[in-house]
Formats: sequence, C-alpha cells, structure tokens
Amino acid sequence: MKILFGVILTVLVATSLGTYLSYPDARSEVPVIYWVTDRNPARVLQVQRFHEWLVKNGHVTEDGKPVVELRLDMANRDQAKQIIQTVSGVASEVLDVGGGQAMRLFRQMEVIEDVTDEALAMGFDPSQTYAALESEITVDGRQYLFPCNVSAQGMWVNEALFESLGIGPIPARWTFEEFERLGKEFMAKANPPGTRPDQKRFFANSIPPVTMRRSAGVSMFNETLTASALNDSRYVEVLELQRKWIYEDNILPTPDDTSAFASEQGYGGPTLSLFGSGNYAMVTGGRYFLIRFRDFDNLGQLRVVEFPHGGFPNTTIGTRAAMVYTGADRPDLGKLFLAYLASEDYNELIIEDADALPPNPKFTKSEAFLRPPKYPNEWGTHGQFVKMAEEIAIPLVHSPFVLTNVANNRSDDYSELFMAFRISAEEAALKSAQAIDEAIRDEVERKPELQPLYEERLVLQEKIDAALAAGQKVPAEWIKNPFHLRYYAAQGKLLPEGEAAPETSAAVTTP
Amino acid sequence: MTRERRNLIAGVAFLTPNILGVVTFVVFPVVFSLYMAFTNWDLTLHNMFKEDASVEFVGLENFIELVTGDRFPRFLGNTLFFMMGIPFSVAASLIAAMLLSSDTRAGGGKNYLYLLSGIGLIAGVMMLTVVGAGATAMTILLVGAAAGILLAGVGGGLTFYRTLFYTPHFVAGVATFILWGKLYSATNGPINLTLQPALSGLGGVVNGTPAVLYSGLFWVGLLLMLAMFYWGSAKLRRMIVDGDLGKGAAVVPFGLLLIPVVVGCVWGMTRQAWWLLALGAVAILAYHAWVYSQRTDRFPAKSSEGFGSGFVIALMVLVVQFVLLGLSPVMGALPAMSEVSATSDGLTAPSWLTDVGWAKPALMIMGFWAAIGSNNMLLYLAALTNVPGELYEAANIDGAKPLQRFWNVTWPQLAPTTFFILVMATIGGLQGGFEMARVMTQGGPAGATTTLSYFIYQEGFETGRLGYASAVAWALFLLIFSITLFNWKFGNKYVND
Repeated sequence: MKILFGVILTVLVATSLGTYLSYPDARSEVPVIYWVTDRNPARVLQVQRFHEWLVKNGHVTEDGKPVVELRLDMANRDQAKQIIQTVSGVASEVLDVGGGQAMRLFRQMEVIEDVTDEALAMGFDPSQTYAALESEITVDGRQYLFPCNVSAQGMWVNEALFESLGIGPIPARWTFEEFERLGKEFMAKANPPGTRPDQKRFFANSIPPVTMRRSAGVSMFNETLTASALNDSRYVEVLELQRKWIYEDNILPTPDDTSAFASEQGYGGPTLSLFGSGNYAMVTGGRYFLIRFRDFDNLGQLRVVEFPHGGFPNTTIGTRAAMVYTGADRPDLGKLFLAYLASEDYNELIIEDADALPPNPKFTKSEAFLRPPKYPNEWGTHGQFVKMAEEIAIPLVHSPFVLTNVANNRSDDYSELFMAFRISAEEAALKSAQAIDEAIRDEVERKPELQPLYEERLVLQEKIDAALAAGQKVPAEWIKNPFHLRYYAAQGKLLPEGEAAPETSAAVTTP
Repeated sequence: MTRERRNLIAGVAFLTPNILGVVTFVVFPVVFSLYMAFTNWDLTLHNMFKEDASVEFVGLENFIELVTGDRFPRFLGNTLFFMMGIPFSVAASLIAAMLLSSDTRAGGGKNYLYLLSGIGLIAGVMMLTVVGAGATAMTILLVGAAAGILLAGVGGGLTFYRTLFYTPHFVAGVATFILWGKLYSATNGPINLTLQPALSGLGGVVNGTPAVLYSGLFWVGLLLMLAMFYWGSAKLRRMIVDGDLGKGAAVVPFGLLLIPVVVGCVWGMTRQAWWLLALGAVAILAYHAWVYSQRTDRFPAKSSEGFGSGFVIALMVLVVQFVLLGLSPVMGALPAMSEVSATSDGLTAPSWLTDVGWAKPALMIMGFWAAIGSNNMLLYLAALTNVPGELYEAANIDGAKPLQRFWNVTWPQLAPTTFFILVMATIGGLQGGFEMARVMTQGGPAGATTTLSYFIYQEGFETGRLGYASAVAWALFLLIFSITLFNWKFGNKYVND
C-alpha cells in the first residue's frame, strides 16, 4: 500500500512538472500577457498584427523579436468571472469589457489601471476616439479604457423589400408619427390574410427604449445623477406608445412572435437571419451587423436610418473596450496593447472586418472605409454610422451613486410588468423611479465616502431645478448627466461659456 | 515505531489530501461565509487591492435588510411557489414506479393490446400523411411518438420503459432547458400547437352555452372548496376522537385548512363570495364542535400527539383547496375569456415563458416532468420490491380491492422512502432554480422566476455584495434547516406510527 501511495505521489509530481514546463509562459523567451476577449475568429489576426506593430514601432528585444507575446483568453469574458478573478489576483493583463458600466464597477474595486498619463504619452487618450465616448472611458477626468471598437446604433433598412411593396422611401430622420404610419402600411401590405406566424413580416425588430425615452426628453437620472427622472409624463407616453406598437399595431414583434421564428443562430443571433429572410424589414444595430450580412446572398442595397424620435433625434453609442489589470505582473505591456488599439494597423483591421466602427474616427474618412470595392451595396451605410456617432450619439448614463445594472434591473421589472398589462404606465414610471431612488439611498448609506459628493450634488440639483423653473439657462458645468448636456444644448437651455451663472436662493460652490 | 502507529500514519497520509480538500473547499468557505454574513463586505469596497479598507462587522444589518427590503420576500415567494410542485412530483414518481414495477409482458393479452394500439396509431399517422395533413405535423409527430413508445415497449418491455422514464435524469440540464424553451414557444411550440385547438373547441362550447352556467360554476367551485374544508376537518376531528391527534397538535392543521378560506375572503377574484366562505367555514367548524361534544367514546391523547399525521393530511387538503379556489374564478370568467371580438382572440394558449403570470407555472411543470423520472422513481422502485408479498396475500384473503391494498399495505410500507424523498425534495427545492432561471428566463419576466439561489448569484457576483449575498445564503440555510428539523421531528414520528 505504501508503495502504491509513493507511486501515485511520484506520478502526480511528475505530471505537475510536465504541465508547468509545457505551459506557454514557461516556454516563451519574452513575457507572455493574455487578452480576455470574446470568441471571434478575427481576434487571431488582431493579435498577429499586434506583434507586427510592436516590431514596426521598435518595441523589440535585442534580437529583434517583439517584447511581449500576446495570447488570447476567450473563456473568461463573462463579467462574473472577471470580477472573481480580478479580486483574487489571478486575472489576465488585458480585459475586454462592455464600456462604462463595467468599467465603473472595476474602478470602484480599484482593480484596473489608471492609464491617463500613459495614454497622453503613447497616443491613446480620449482625443483619439469619439467625443461622445468620453464618459464611457473616463471617470472624473481619469482614463481607464480605450475602445477596441465603437458602436453607434441605427436601423438597418432592407431597401429591396420596401421597394417591392411600393413603400417608402424610409426617411433618414423621422418622427414617431411617421414611423407608425409607415409601419401600419407595411404590415398591411406585407402580411396578406392567412400568413403563418412563422412567416410573418414585421416593420422592425425593435426600437431601443432608451432612445425612445431620450427622444422625448427623459433620462433615467436627473441632471446631477442623484435621483431617477423616470417619474415623468413624457416617459409614461413613451411606454404606452411602445406597447401600442408591439401589442396593438404589431408593427414590432411581441416576444411570442419572436419565439415563433425557427431561425438559425450565429453571430448576432437569429435577428440578422430574419433580416436576411425579409421577416424583419428593419433591424436595430450597429455596423458590426455587416459581419453576418456579408455572408447573405442577394441582400441588395442596404441603408441605415436614425431611430424615430419624439422631438429630439438621438442614438446610443457604446464600446467594447480594453482595460489593464492592476494585479498583472507587467501592466506596462498591457498599456502597450491599448496604444496598439489607437494605431492605424489595428483600425484598418476593424474597417476591413466591419467589426463596428474603428476606435479612432480619423480613419473613417478613407475610401476603404466609406466605399469598400467588394461591397457596393454597403456604400452609404458606413458614413451614416460615423455621422450618427459624431452628431447625435449619447452614451449610456452612469450615476456614481448606484451601479448601472442595479438601476436597470429595478426599472426593467416595472416596465416589464407594464408590458405584460399588469400595471399602468403611470405606476411603472412611478415605481421605477422609486426603486432607483431607494437603490441610490441604500448605496449612499452603505458607502459613507459617497456622502459628501451626494450632498453637494443635491444642493446643485436644487439650483438647477430653481433656475429651470424660473426659465433661466444653466451653466454646462452644473450638468453631470451627458444626456442632459446634449438635450439642454439642443433646447437652448445652456448658458454660453463664460456667462455668469443665474442667481438662486441656494448658495453652492460648483463641484 | 509500532506496527499500529505505522499503519495509522499510512492511513492518515492516504486521507490527508481528501481531508485537506474538504477543509479548504467546503468547511472553510462555509464557516467563512457565516462571518461574511455579519459584515459589510462589498467587493467595490474591500478586496486585496484596497489595503486601507477593512471589512466592518455590521451585526444583523444584512439580515434586517433581508426582512425589510422587498426583494428577498418576493424571491422567497417565487422559490416557495416552485416548491408547491413537490407533492405532485412525488406522487407522480410513485405512480411511475408502480407502473414500472408491473411486468408489461406478463400475459393477459397486454402485448397484443400494445401491438394493436401501436399499429393503429402508425396507420393513423400514415393516413394523415397521405391526405397531406401538413398543418398537423405536430399531431403526426406526437401520435408517431406514442406509437413508437408502445411498439418499443412490446419489444423491450420493462427495461425500455424504465430507461425511457429515467431519461430526464441523465440528460444534461442546460440541454433540457433549451428543449423546453422550444416546447414552450407560444406561437409554434408543440405544447401550444396541441393546446390551442382544444382551447378553441372549448371556446366554441362555452360561447354556445348560457353564460349563467359558468357563473354558477364559480359558486360550485367555492362550494367544493368548502366541501374539502369539511372533509379535512372531519378527518382531523375523527383523529382527535380516536386518540390519534392531540388537541394542541390539532391547532396548526386546522389553521392550515382555514388559510384558503381566508385567502378566498380577501382575494379580489373571489371577494364577492366572502360571506359564503366565512359563513360556510364557521358553520362547518361549529358543526364539528357540536359533533365532538356529543361523542362520549373519546380516546384520550397527549396534547402534542399525532402532529405529523394531522399536518400531512391538512397539507394535502390545503393543496386541493387552493386548486379549487384558483379554478372557481377561471370558470366564472370563461364566457368573457372565450368571447371573440376585435380586441380579443378568445381562449388562447398562454405565452409560457414571457408572461409574468405563466412563467412560474411553466418552470414548475418542467420541474415536475424532470422529477417524475428522477432518483425518486428509482427509490420507489427499490422500495416497492421490498414490500413483503405476504402482506398482499393477507390483504387479498381479507378481500381488499386494489385501492385498499395500496392504501393499507403499499403506502404504509413506503412511508420511510416517502419521508426521505420529501426531505430531500424540500432541500433541493429551496436550493434549486438557479440553472433554469439563468438559461431560460434570466430571472424574468419582471423577476417572476428569480429564485433565492439566483438572487444570491446576482448579489454576490453581479453587484459584488458578498456580505449581503452570504446573509441570503445563511437565511436560506436556516430555512432549510428549520423545515428539515420540522420534517424530521414530526415526519419521522408519522413514519414510525
């Protein structure tokens, strides 16, 4: 028995040693870093190009090899895994996240590198990407991310389908009323009586609730991000309109309609196949949809239009961005990778692959981007996405006083209840606002370090409310919500720079 | 060193890796999570990169938040709702085990019956196909599957059926959930494609009969619920008289029987009949009290005697009462629900996974299906083989009918197994629901399918509140522990009685 025990122990030690020696880190002559990203075959080429970029830019060892070996980790993209690994000290050097929401969580944990200084020195500071993304990659003026790609959302239009039905043209910018009128016309013409549920055609797959709400002038949070702003009659109207389009007019599919389609899966899910098959005449998404669209035969001429609006045209802008883990052995090498993301070499790859918009907008003016010779049916769509990103795009809003996913979950519960005809729109708006406010109160109570900023912002909010109620303009520096900054600018409610702030009863130092 | 000592050291050496594993990955995390439950541990505030931040002891703060907040009670309610399926799934497992313990090839013309049924069904399927019944593809599939099962049973007999019934247990959970997602598709899922014609037919029948009939059924349903209340309380009264149930022990069972009556009085859908329910319940209780006072042949019992038996009976009656209570307003509303108009399609099959009201029952039905062919069925199969044949012989000599044989021989003999299954199912039910919520509904719609286990995951790994998540986990443990203790104390007694 003792011999058996000894043999087992020896075998275990030997196999452990073998595993260690065969591990890439042990075999590489240069430091190895890992990039946690999604499962996309394009990443292999992006890594290869990174090694070439290192050589081209002199980041080499004495014998001319790249100073670092980048490897892909596609198994740990899930945010829960990233949280556990980062706080446990075992995460990879470079981590992809879905923008400002996740970044703020990791920043609060203090597990990611502040790259502000290196970004300026190495050329990947916020000026190297879209202005609208600033709050997605920075917090309080400090930078933590750089985009791997950028996505401004729009509506892809199947031109051939509309032409065949004699409808259109679909306006590049349109109101809720125009959308509804054309939608009803489309549904009547595209679905003759007796159409089977799994063959039904819909005007569009969805309209993002955030964009609809914002177009009516409503944000999830108030100007200082200290409370919810959802308890608003304009939000009530938007909720009712949304439900009407889905359940009454049925120009957008119900969840049951969606599940009726037995469609193939794949990148982007079944929605893109349904666009290709003509079941959806329009789909909501970004330039990255082209990755699938290029596989479809006979898709015909494509167009991209803005979302319908209720007075304030807008869209959302987001990013899949990379951050550097503080606990990494060589965070400096991770920052080198972020610099690569701003380079022409990397941006060219994104342009070729149509993997959303390239992080650096200066590369979007080229013919290769605007009119790729192989895909003439896409001409016009690329430039439209850049135009939307530069002119009407607003990032998602994140409050320092509550995690964005918590606020979203709380409000979604009530909007879903409204959509299920369980509560009224007024109740949904009121209860959403109350739930978010409660989450904010809890968070501030739990984290006393937030208290001073919160108190300061409350006073500021009073000033803003008083000024707006008196019909006065407010200084831009008072507004902390990126939506309100854009909305008030469009409404002419912002004071021109350098003009004195309005007198109000509440004395406050502008934070 | 003595031989004994050497052997001891060798034994400990063999065990050490395992012990270390258990201590490191089980004992330590469990104990540590108890400590965490009383702290403000939040990953955004405390982790290895925040050296100056220390975790603070917050006493019962996390537990107070559990009780005062609205989410824990809501998700506990969801969990308990799913657990309502446990008695049904245990009963179904027992029925499955009894069916599978009888030899399907044991003469009596059964084989011919199966063969003929199978061939008949296949012939039907072929005829449907020949006449081009494309729209009834689902019917063809279902009938074909039934025929296949019958015919395979003729060939494979018990082995085939036992394997078939046990299949859900060895199919990977996620694959099952995806499959059920397809089955539940509201527009073209097999379930609704089968259900919709039946509902349309029912709608036609309802529309063709006077509406007053259905409003009458509303009251009939409530009267039946009162009848169940009468039956349950009469059973308890007889137990008291016979000395099987102490007066003190009878309080909770009687209380359980009253719950559906009280709910019926305050529930919006049945509130209009509160007077009937209230008067009926009072009259029934008064009648039992009067009958009890008239009996002179009472056997004395200790106050706490027979609690387990009384509790189990009351629980079973309670479930039936609630079913009747739920069905009554549905019957009353049938004419309105069946009416086809510009704004209504009449009786339609439910949107199983996307409707706030149906998502929970949908997942419960799926759990019920999985539970029928689970280890419970295997345990019952094993237990059934252990029932002494002499008992059945004795019952036969006494002239017992099949139902009496089951009630007086099989059921008591299976009591220890049933007790074990109930305890394990209760524990599993309280802990479960995570995978199906994550894969099928992400806890939605509107949190309707978020169970406590999924809530723990959300709080711990999506928002980083480890202290609060640990408190939820320990509250869940306390709940499981209390219920198991309760089961053990009273259920065990019931089994041994």
